[in-house]
Amino acid sequence: MKTRLTRSFRGRLFVAFLIGSLVPLLLCSAMLLQIFRLRMTENAAAEVRESMDHALNALDTAVEGFVRAAEQLSGDEVVFQALETGSGETTQVYSRLFTATAGLRDYARFDLYDREGIWRYSTLNAPSQRQLPTNWGILGQANREEGLTFVASEDVTNTAVPLLRGGMLLRSPQGETVGYLVISLYQADLRQLLDGTYGSQNDLILLSQYWRPVYCAQPSLAASLAPVLRQQLLLGEALDKISEEFSYQVALQSSTGLYLVLRHPRVFNHDTMALLYTVSASCALVCVLISVLMSLKLSRQMFRPVQRLHTAIGEVVQNNLDVQVPLDRNDELGELAQRFNGMVVALKRNQEELVKNQKELNEAQIRMLQAQLNPHFLCNTLDTMKWISKINQVPQVAVMSTDLADILRFCISPEEFVPLRREVEILERYIEIQKIRLSSAFTFTTHILPELEECLVPKMILQPIVENAILHGLEGVEQGTIRVIARREDEDRISLVVEDNGRGLPPEMAGPYANRDRERSRGHLGLYNVDTILRKYYGEGFGLWLDCGAQGRGAVVRATLPLRWEEETEC
Amino acid sequence: MWAVLALALCTLVSCTPALEGEDLACAPVEEERLVVYTSHKQEVWWPIVKEFEERTGIWVDVVTGGSSELLQRIAKEEQSPRADVMFGGGVESLASYEDSFAPYISREAEAIPEQFQDPDGLWTPFSSLPVVLIYNTKLVGEGQVTRWSDLLSPYFQGKIAFTDPAVSGSSYTSLVTMICALGGDAEEDLHRFAANLDGRQLESSGDVLTLVADGTDWVGVTLEETALKRIAAGDDIAMVYPTDGTSSVPDGSALVRGAPHEENAKRFLDFTISRDVQQLVAEQSYRRPVRRDVEPAEELADLEELLLVDYNVDWASQNRENLLMSWAFFLGGEEEA
Repeated sequence: MKTRLTRSFRGRLFVAFLIGSLVPLLLCSAMLLQIFRLRMTENAAAEVRESMDHALNALDTAVEGFVRAAEQLSGDEVVFQALETGSGETTQVYSRLFTATAGLRDYARFDLYDREGIWRYSTLNAPSQRQLPTNWGILGQANREEGLTFVASEDVTNTAVPLLRGGMLLRSPQGETVGYLVISLYQADLRQLLDGTYGSQNDLILLSQYWRPVYCAQPSLAASLAPVLRQQLLLGEALDKISEEFSYQVALQSSTGLYLVLRHPRVFNHDTMALLYTVSASCALVCVLISVLMSLKLSRQMFRPVQRLHTAIGEVVQNNLDVQVPLDRNDELGELAQRFNGMVVALKRNQEELVKNQKELNEAQIRMLQAQLNPHFLCNTLDTMKWISKINQVPQVAVMSTDLADILRFCISPEEFVPLRREVEILERYIEIQKIRLSSAFTFTTHILPELEECLVPKMILQPIVENAILHGLEGVEQGTIRVIARREDEDRISLVVEDNGRGLPPEMAGPYANRDRERSRGHLGLYNVDTILRKYYGEGFGLWLDCGAQGRGAVVRATLPLRWEEETEC
Repeated sequence: MWAVLALALCTLVSCTPALEGEDLACAPVEEERLVVYTSHKQEVWWPIVKEFEERTGIWVDVVTGGSSELLQRIAKEEQSPRADVMFGGGVESLASYEDSFAPYISREAEAIPEQFQDPDGLWTPFSSLPVVLIYNTKLVGEGQVTRWSDLLSPYFQGKIAFTDPAVSGSSYTSLVTMICALGGDAEEDLHRFAANLDGRQLESSGDVLTLVADGTDWVGVTLEETALKRIAAGDDIAMVYPTDGTSSVPDGSALVRGAPHEENAKRFLDFTISRDVQQLVAEQSYRRPVRRDVEPAEELADLEELLLVDYNVDWASQNRENLLMSWAFFLGGEEEA
């Protein structure tokens, strides 16, 4: 997936945007969620503790009252007498009973039983069960335990029987059992005592010492929840594991041995979590959407100029050099387009030049071909002239025509490069002709290093230079000399030097051959041609070099060209 | 990069609240626990268990179920027993699972007549439950049903409510009682009775009362306690003790072999036959207490006046398989496993 996504530019942009937005978002969400959760849980826990304390306080207060009342009654002579003898002033007993239980009768009834468990006095109507077993239940418990002791009802759901009973054995000062005090709390009493203390969202369950239900604010929980709580406790499992929705807080009321279990809804139940996750997921989704849109938009913005460049390059490949990319932006891409346009223009110029050169070359070739027309006819004619002149005893004509025929043959030979030795031979023929023409008014010498004799030079490269020296340099000079020297410049270059002792050059012509304009070099067309040939063949680094001779006499023309041998002609 | 993403997601998801272990502090230690399997109804076991907890400080974990089911479960858990006490079930059912139980002779045994005691102490009796016949008072005249042999009469053919003895322990007790009372050949008696049932038996012992009360069946076989309870509730039922003999086989409890809380289990067994509990049983139900010093409820006929068959618990438990097989055969049903 990764490679597929990141293969395209757009995909990479998308991934980058996605990471750039999603990672901080997720981290932030996680952090916020955690902080939020901790904070809420803490608050809720504090609230629950408070509720629990309220409930516990209410119970504590009530129990303290009961203990006080029990103490008061257990030390009362009148009550003893009445219970022991079954006689006595009823009103007096009631008066003691009501005094002792002042403020407590709102949520409990108080009964006095004699030692047989027979009911005698009560703060309310006589109970339906006039006698309680002294070996069972509350009286049994009171018999076994010292002080006020509490026993839960067998049936939590029954509103007609007391859910919680406190019992205490009443002893005479002599230590004999005289009767029992029984404090009964019915469901309504407990409700009155505890309602409003434990928070409206919460549920309170009162459990006995053995975690049997005593009172449930919501009666249905006695059957559904209380056994589960007990089972969970016996299994040693945390109560909070019972359900996802509720947490439990347990507190012990020490004087009764009762446990208060507060069930409170979890702050982070499924709904809340689902909501928070939904919000986070929506944010992430928005991020993804924005990333997609941004990457599309941005890539389109970058992609359009790139696309235009791409198309333009395609056009160039198709050899359409008139193409231009519109310049509508100033950023890097605009610069790129500008450069591209420049490049296309340069390319076009180059191509045009190339075409021009090619055209010139073609023209030259055509001229050359024209020059080669009927060469044999000319040679044969010259041969004929040679024989006729020999027959007629005109030796100069014979020599001249022989030389001319050789030169002509040399000129029209198809090779463009010839060994230096051959070039020099032809040059000597030309000199022979010129000597006849000019009545041998100069001397001609050659100094060719033997190792250079076979190196290749362009055909007819020396003749124009020498001709120039004869026609312009030696004009009107007695004892003229022309020397042709071939020497090695360095590892891969040679120079051919033509020296004369004639009139010399105008000083401004010294240096590299400067008259490269054909029109301006009339009269020196030979030098121009040689220079052009050298440069065309070998490049701009080569060509002619003009110099004045030693002691200001004569001229030196030097042609520099690369050292080449026979096998390299192909190159 | 993906790791960061994964990390973020993990943090996001890891919202499990720390568990608060404080509420476990009030759980009882092992020495203060007892596990009781009981087939008694809640109205029977609950006051006893509650009082036991109050008196001893032992936390009782009660598992309820049918007696056969619980006995099988105890047998299955033989290697590592969970239960300490099996409370409830006819003593011959308990005796037939003798491998699962350990003998224990209660400290209260002296107060109990020998007829309700197992010499080996394998089980401890709880209450005695004579077998009775019931009839619908609108459909059957008084005196028409007085003895077991009446159930073989063609007059009642197909009108007898009788529970499958393979399912109900009390029904099996009734069947054995009948065989003893008729005194003839056991197979012959079974055959005749099965024929008179028209091959029909009930799935639950509670159905006997219901079907007789609503007139579907005319007569039925059940236990005294159940019958009296329904009569007291006002159903059109009358009860007779068979004049040719009834039995008074107790139901009981037994100490599970290898019980994890053996001492507590023994205290519980003692408690079930203590005077206080037996008195409660006598006062609050139609069960007959098994102690000499506790009188049964006034409504109950004196046991001395009834003709009791010579019911041999050991024989009944040892021949259970055979008898049930014959019974199933005679009833035309499929062979019982």
